[in-house]
Formats: sequence, C-alpha cells, structure tokens
Amino acid sequence: MSREQYQIPTGTQQSFTTGGGSGGREYGVESRAGIMHYICGDCAVRVPLEKDAPIRCQKCGARVLYKERTKRMVQFEAR
Amino acid sequence: MPRREPSEEEVERRKIVGINAETITDVSSTDYPGVYPGEDHSWDLDKIRRTLQIEFHHNEPLLASFSLIGADASIANAFRRIMIADVPTLAIETVYIDNNTSVIQDEVLAHRLGLIPFRGGREGLDKFMKWYKKPDNGGGGDDDANTGYFDYNTVALRLSVECTHNEAAAPGETDPTKLYHHAHVYAKDIVFEPIGRQDQYFSGEDAIAPVHPDILIAKLRPGQEIHCTMHMHKGVGSDHAKFSPVATASYRLMPTIDILRPIIGADAEKFAKCFPPGVIGLEKVTRKEAARQGSGYEGHEGELKAVVRDPMRDTVSRECLRHDEFKDKVKLGRRRDHFIYQVESTGQWDSDAIFLEAVAHLKEKARRLEKQLLEMGC
Ligand SMILES: [Zn+2]
Repeated sequence: MSREQYQIPTGTQQSFTTGGGSGGREYGVESRAGIMHYICGDCAVRVPLEKDAPIRCQKCGARVLYKERTKRMVQFEAR
Repeated sequence: MPRREPSEEEVERRKIVGINAETITDVSSTDYPGVYPGEDHSWDLDKIRRTLQIEFHHNEPLLASFSLIGADASIANAFRRIMIADVPTLAIETVYIDNNTSVIQDEVLAHRLGLIPFRGGREGLDKFMKWYKKPDNGGGGDDDANTGYFDYNTVALRLSVECTHNEAAAPGETDPTKLYHHAHVYAKDIVFEPIGRQDQYFSGEDAIAPVHPDILIAKLRPGQEIHCTMHMHKGVGSDHAKFSPVATASYRLMPTIDILRPIIGADAEKFAKCFPPGVIGLEKVTRKEAARQGSGYEGHEGELKAVVRDPMRDTVSRECLRHDEFKDKVKLGRRRDHFIYQVESTGQWDSDAIFLEAVAHLKEKARRLEKQLLEMGC
C-alpha cells in the first residue's frame, strides 16, 4: 500500500522549494511550505492559506473552512 | 420398594406446564431419578433413541422451523446457544480506509461494513478457510503487524466509489440517485479480490459476495468518495454478533388447549376470536353428540361448537381466560419437552445446516469433556 509520509508543515524547513535539491520532492506552488490547504464550508473548493492569512475562502468569501483529511491509510476494526 | 411404571396418561400429565390467568405451574421437569418413589428415571440412551423426534415444519435457505420433541430443556437450550454463539462464519474484521470524505464517520463505516452478511462456496468456507490467529506482538517489532495473513485465513475485499454529477439527468430532477452517479453506496459495490488458491474455491457462483446486494452502506454527494480495502476472517458469535450465522435462533414450547366443557353457539365464535386465526375451528354438533346424555351437547344439534384445530399457531395470549364464560371451560398449557425452533439464517449457511452444525458442535464438546474426565483418572 503506497502512502506518502506525513510531513509537518513548518515555515523554515522548506522555504526553498522551487530549487528542488537532490532527494527533495517537487512541490507545486500549491503545496509550498507554510501553506496549508483547507476545504471551504460553503463551496467545497480547496483553499490554500498562508500563515497569518485571513481565514476566508478566496472564491466565495465564506469564513468557515475545514481541515483536510489525512492522506494516510487508517486502520479500523469492524466492531 | 417394588418397581412401578407410570401410566401413559400420568406421563403426559407430568409433561404439561400449567398456564393460568396470572400464574404458571409445574415449571420444572420431574423425569429424573428420586422424584417418584419406585419409578426408574435413570438416563437411558435406548429410551432417548426411541422417543426423540424431529419434525420440520418448513425449511427454506433463510428460514427453518422444526420441532424437537422428547429432549430436556438443557439440551434444547444448548443447541440454541451453540447456533447463536459457536457456529463460525466469515465476516469483515479489519477495514483499511484510504479515503472517506462521506458524511459517515470512519468508525461507523467500518462497523457497518462488519455487519454485512456474506456468502461463498460451502466447501471453501468449511474446509479451506481456517481460523486467523492474531500474531502476538511480543517482540514489538513493526514487521509483525502484517504477518499471519494467508489465503486460507484472510479474504480481501475492496470498496471504491466516487460520487459525480450525472450530466444526463433531466432538468429539474430532484432524485439524488438520478441526479448523481453513486449517490448511494450499496453492498453490491464491494468487490472480492481473490488471493492465492481462493479462486479455486470462490469463483463463479461460489464467489464471496454480499447475501443482500442492496444493503445501503452510505450516501454520497458529488465530490465525496470512499476508498477502502477490507479483510475478512472466520469468527464466532460469542466474540461479536456479526459472526453469528443466525439473525434469530429461538424456541418456544408447544401450546396445549384443552376444552373441558362444550363451548357452543355465539360463545364458540367469541372463543375462536380469543385466539389467532386457525387455532380454534367451528364445527356443527352432530346428532350422535346431541343424543349422548351428559355430554353437554343435549339439544344443541346443528349448532356450532369450538374445537381445537392447530394449537401450534397459538401465541398463548391467555385472552380466553379473561372472559368469565370460558374461565373453567378451558385449560391452557405448554408441553415441556416439545420445542418449536425458529432458525433464521443470515445467509452464509443454510438454516437447516446451522442446526446440524450445532449438533456436531455439542458432540465435539462432549467428546472433549470425556477426554478430560478420562485424564482425571476416575
Ligand atoms: Zn468557498
């Protein structure tokens, strides 16, 4: 089962993303370090938010944003 | 003390549990040694062979009803409990959720998946599939987590659904199932993924599949998706109800209705209405009965009288005992040694096979006990 390792987004760790050194993963503009994605509560669009940015959907202006679900597989007992 | 044999009438009388308006009498059985002086009630295999009967009332794959006559309540109850808690089935035990953006929570989704009954080839389920033993993580190594899974103890399933808009939907359509693709996730969306030798046992008709394809698992809206794989293992109902092969397995005692004195005319019709349909029949009083002195039918030739048709259908509501006119004309009871079983299968086993398996289980338990006793050296 392929899954990407979860990385804690910090401002300092990968502030040089565009260079992409050896072993460094190519991130698009979307997933630049320090940017987290949220889901708009009104229009369900993915909203990239920078640190200290106002919590607001860029598309529709809604102020309720949800955290994205983990990309990792989660195991449950069917009980 | 000289040995006595009880009369047949007396034996019948002892088998009846009395049912009165507010009380119940003679609840316990008395057919064991030391109750009646001079009578032999020692355990006798030949007697059980002679008297034990099983009669099937109906027998369909998902529902069987039969009578077990001549057994003690302890035996009858043992069969019932074994059917519920000891006959193994295959059910989803672990759910690996890659993504679930539906409104139903992961835990709840996993729980719902676990409760879905599945069917599959009988030979594969009985002979090929073995128990899955959880590896004891004594070493604590991370590698242990995925060991112990083999084709003979684990069945893999996959569920992958995404909800999208249906472009072909008519304008103004409001039904979500027409407006969207995969608005409803059903049990039939679960795909069996055979591993190893599993396709030898579970292919074509014998493939592992949900018994009821239209069980609703979740509802989705466009943009939502569920992706997960599932592992099934064999288990027993004593561990979790999802492993129980029966929806219900129960028994009740055979009701008895004795009309002590004639119930005639309008009373007879009222009496019949005190019972479920088919229990009490209405018959005309014959000339012969009307002519007999002291029968209670004198002068009632041609009128309707109440007769007991089918006491098995009675629910023993005791409604008739609430009316003064019937109070001392009827005696209700139940036969202590006549068990009417109702076995409702969830679909992995045929309902009659569950009972046979329960008998085999009880035999095996007895054999194990015998071995233990012999080892005690007594
Ligand atoms: Zn929005």
